[in-house]
Amino acid sequence: MIQIPEHLSKERLLDLYEQMWLIRYFDEKVDEFFAKGMIHGTTHLAVGQEASAVGSCAVLKEEDKITSTHRGHGHCIAKGADINKMMAELFGRETGYCKGKGGSMHIADLDKGNLGANGIVGGGFAIANGAGLTSRMKDLGYVVLCFFGDGASNEGSFHEALNLASIWDLPVVFICENNQYGMSGPVKDMINIEHIASRSGSYGIPGKVVDGNDVFDVMNAVGEAVEHAREGNGPSLVECKTYRWKGHSKSDAKKYRTREEEKEWRDKDPIKRMKEAMLEKEIVTEEEVEEIKQQAKRKIEESVEFSKESPEPDLSTLLTDVYAD
Amino acid sequence: MREITYLEAVREALSQEMRENEDVFMLGEDIGVYGGAFGVSRGMLEEFGSERIRNTPISEAAISGTAVGAALTGMRPVLELQFSDFITIAMDNLVNQAAKIRYMYGGKGSVPMVLRTPSGSGTGAAAQHSQSLEAWVAHVPGLKVVQPSCGSDAKGLLKAAIDDNNPVVFYEHKTLYKTSDHVPEEAYSIPLGKADIKREGTDATIVATAAMVPKALEAASKLAEEGIETEVVDPRTLVPLDKETIVESVKKTGRLLVAHEAVKRGGFGGEIASTIAESEAFDFLDAPIMRLGGAEVPIPYNPNLEKATVPSVEDMIDSVKQMVHYDTWRENHG
Amino acid sequence: MANEIFMPKLSSTMEEGVILDWFKEEGDEIETGEPIFEIMTDKINIEVESYHDGILLKKYFHKDDTVPVNHVIGFIGEQGEEVPDTPPASDEESSADESSSPEQETAAPAQEPETEVSTEKVRATPAARAAAREKNVSLHNVSGSGPKGRIHKADVLSSGSQGKSTPLAEKMASHHGIDTKNVEGTGAGGKVMKNDINALLAESSENRPENVTESLRGVRKVTAERMADSSSTIPHVTMDFEVDMEQVIRLREALKSSVEKATGQKLSYNEIFVLAVSKALQRHPDINITYDKETITYHNEVNVGVAVAVEENLYVPVLKNTERKSLSMLADELKPLIFNTREGRIDSASMQGGTFTISNLGMFAIDSFTPIINKPQGAILGISRMKEVPVVKEGEVKVSSVTTFSLSFDHRVINGAPAAAFCTTLKNLLEEPYELLV
Repeated sequence: MIQIPEHLSKERLLDLYEQMWLIRYFDEKVDEFFAKGMIHGTTHLAVGQEASAVGSCAVLKEEDKITSTHRGHGHCIAKGADINKMMAELFGRETGYCKGKGGSMHIADLDKGNLGANGIVGGGFAIANGAGLTSRMKDLGYVVLCFFGDGASNEGSFHEALNLASIWDLPVVFICENNQYGMSGPVKDMINIEHIASRSGSYGIPGKVVDGNDVFDVMNAVGEAVEHAREGNGPSLVECKTYRWKGHSKSDAKKYRTREEEKEWRDKDPIKRMKEAMLEKEIVTEEEVEEIKQQAKRKIEESVEFSKESPEPDLSTLLTDVYAD
Repeated sequence: MREITYLEAVREALSQEMRENEDVFMLGEDIGVYGGAFGVSRGMLEEFGSERIRNTPISEAAISGTAVGAALTGMRPVLELQFSDFITIAMDNLVNQAAKIRYMYGGKGSVPMVLRTPSGSGTGAAAQHSQSLEAWVAHVPGLKVVQPSCGSDAKGLLKAAIDDNNPVVFYEHKTLYKTSDHVPEEAYSIPLGKADIKREGTDATIVATAAMVPKALEAASKLAEEGIETEVVDPRTLVPLDKETIVESVKKTGRLLVAHEAVKRGGFGGEIASTIAESEAFDFLDAPIMRLGGAEVPIPYNPNLEKATVPSVEDMIDSVKQMVHYDTWRENHG
Repeated sequence: MANEIFMPKLSSTMEEGVILDWFKEEGDEIETGEPIFEIMTDKINIEVESYHDGILLKKYFHKDDTVPVNHVIGFIGEQGEEVPDTPPASDEESSADESSSPEQETAAPAQEPETEVSTEKVRATPAARAAAREKNVSLHNVSGSGPKGRIHKADVLSSGSQGKSTPLAEKMASHHGIDTKNVEGTGAGGKVMKNDINALLAESSENRPENVTESLRGVRKVTAERMADSSSTIPHVTMDFEVDMEQVIRLREALKSSVEKATGQKLSYNEIFVLAVSKALQRHPDINITYDKETITYHNEVNVGVAVAVEENLYVPVLKNTERKSLSMLADELKPLIFNTREGRIDSASMQGGTFTISNLGMFAIDSFTPIINKPQGAILGISRMKEVPVVKEGEVKVSSVTTFSLSFDHRVINGAPAAAFCTTLKNLLEEPYELLV
């Protein structure tokens, strides 16, 4: 049974619980629309990984920033994005976050501190450093969370960026969502150490491993790392052990893993675990959690309606937004 | 007006901008106490301190991406890469991040950064430290590309580049660092996308970039001794490109030679030649467009071989004579 | 039905020809075989003879016009026959049209007017085209000064209205206050040239004529390019060797009358040289080669080219299979070949296929020289004058006639030793020439 931190109010807990469902319903809806051919291109779903996104962002202040990954819908929602604009972007509509120019892998919400998803594996490390540097040089006091996957930790940019963040004491928390596979590559075949967090030792920064399917465990660890950074002590590395339920992207036959393994991880469903902990402590009732769940579902349905009703971008917008004035 | 070197002009532009705007800072390898691989930032650490003259580890991927992130969040970083060849290692941040962020985000956010870097051959640095890869970056929408050919241009263009709200790749040609010209002391800006006619002429146009500009001017003055008046146009920025000035020049002269140090195959000269072929200057062409570019080889070490890889003054003279169909031309002009 | 006169295709590489001169005017009678006009190709100047009897009905092109191969130049037919006002498309094009749309042809017979606009592309710069449009000048009537006859803007401007003088002549004339209309031109079609102005100035005053400049065209241009190409791409090595000519002189004296009796031609040293070279090449197949595209070809037959200068032009007519020919056969062939070359009546086929070249400057006061290889051949033999010199024979000083031979060879593909061996064989054959008769 997972432990609920005492300082969290019921309201806050239900808010986080709703975020978890929003993420799950959002990605499941996207999955369905892809299958129906209503959304084109490609997309990467984070079903099963809701806790690392929600737990991490739960400890942030409004002015703090994140950099996200190609599997970024969850981070986006957890950082307070407008679901309608997200869904509209996946539909490629004018009302989407990127006016239909970015799609699934490039949603950003600079006003909310989301510096953007990134289609390049490992593309966010140095950008997070740059944002951290701005915070330092302008004395803005914000912290940057840099999400990345187990696969990205094998990119050179990971190592260069952690070293640079370390020597410059940048206020960046690097959050590895270790979902066990880099596309089809099992982490055990690609990395010869048990914990990616151990790599922090090479750069002289704190590293911690947490249960990525325990939203509170994530909150505690990331919260600590954020405070460490905010106080000017530099970066940390937090590794969340989790699992993606779906394939890497569309048309993934998942031949690289077994049904048994998938079932094992579904049993560790982060949403179910959170609900059970709250019921166990009698903070909430069955009816209340069900109502939250239905509320999340409605919001997603509404976002679909919003998107379907939104206009396609005018062809005249093709050539705009390449350069800033 | 006083004369200073190209290198001093670059340093002066940087220093003036940093005094003017607190958001401007520099980062790069060995730019601190050492003063930069070519000495551009010498003395700047003393004036601006290590927070704003940020000496970095040898991590081109990290420092280029850090510049992108800092620019995206409100700073105006000036990144120095020691040799433009190393842009390969910074390419992801330049091409996939800096150039695309604004468009991908639907017009939100901007990346006002400058990547300064010395380019070109002529120093015996051989294949991995002598290239001219500007066509690569000029190919990418979202980037601006500047190639100043003299100190006074470098100073004004660098201010414009730093003030610009987009990622700008600013090439400084190594062999030009030591050249001097009249450079105003006060800060001034030369707009990006404005070509300069370095010499006026009526019989042929040479569009030359970077270190080819002084060579084109030398060729033009030698051609003038034989009565051929050559116009020398320096685009100064490849992106944006001042097509109008080039088109007008070719309409006047009817002949175009494009000269750059970069390898001819796939070089930016092809873009300029095509621009003319597609423009109304086409009807004024009285000879096939010619291009001079680097030989299709890696830059060799031996000085004679190295020199032979890039177009010479003589090559330019020969090409212009060929275009004006010199034998007939001489007969008609006495 | 009138017969077409067209630009003949004289070699596989010929794409167009320039009309140098017309020998007939419209209305003149022409017999089959009679020359109608002279053309210049990239290789040669040649008179084009008529294939038909009749009246010259139409000339579409003028002196100095460049005309594509197979393009109709004019018509020969019977007095009063109708011919089109503009040149019809060439045979190739019209026959292609016929085969592609035969049904249309029969369905719509001869309703449309006969005027056909030429679709032949003229080589001209965009600026020249724009100028031609503006001045309403047909580019077909403008001769181009650029490479391959490309028409430049200046060519268009100097054609048409002012037309009858070169730009330079015009400029000089205006400088000296002369009206070119009053000057008799010596250029093509009476065009006033710079020299005409100079001549006028020289007559009238103490003005000194200016230097003559001339842009290379036709054969001279091709020769210039080939010389430069050969000289700059082939590492030439030249070996000089002296040959005592006493026996050659005697041989010629002895055979002269019988050769003349058999062929009607006078035997000259050239035939003996060709024969000796052919025999020597047979014994040294590594010299009888051509080298092209990094491939050496060893030729079974010996085809010897003989350099012939005709005014400022250089031609190399080729004698085929000389290794199988006797002196009288060679005389019978070489004499007319050289004669025709000098008369400008050689076709380009007669100048192809050479495996070795001889350049004989024996008629000049030249003691030795370095001939330039005739690409793609491997070697060339230069022959200088014969002169009497004191020679030591069997311990005695005697006067003997001696000639220096100079062999230039391509050192990429022929080494010094085989070249020297060839020279030695040739020297021996010439000094003991009776072996040639075997």
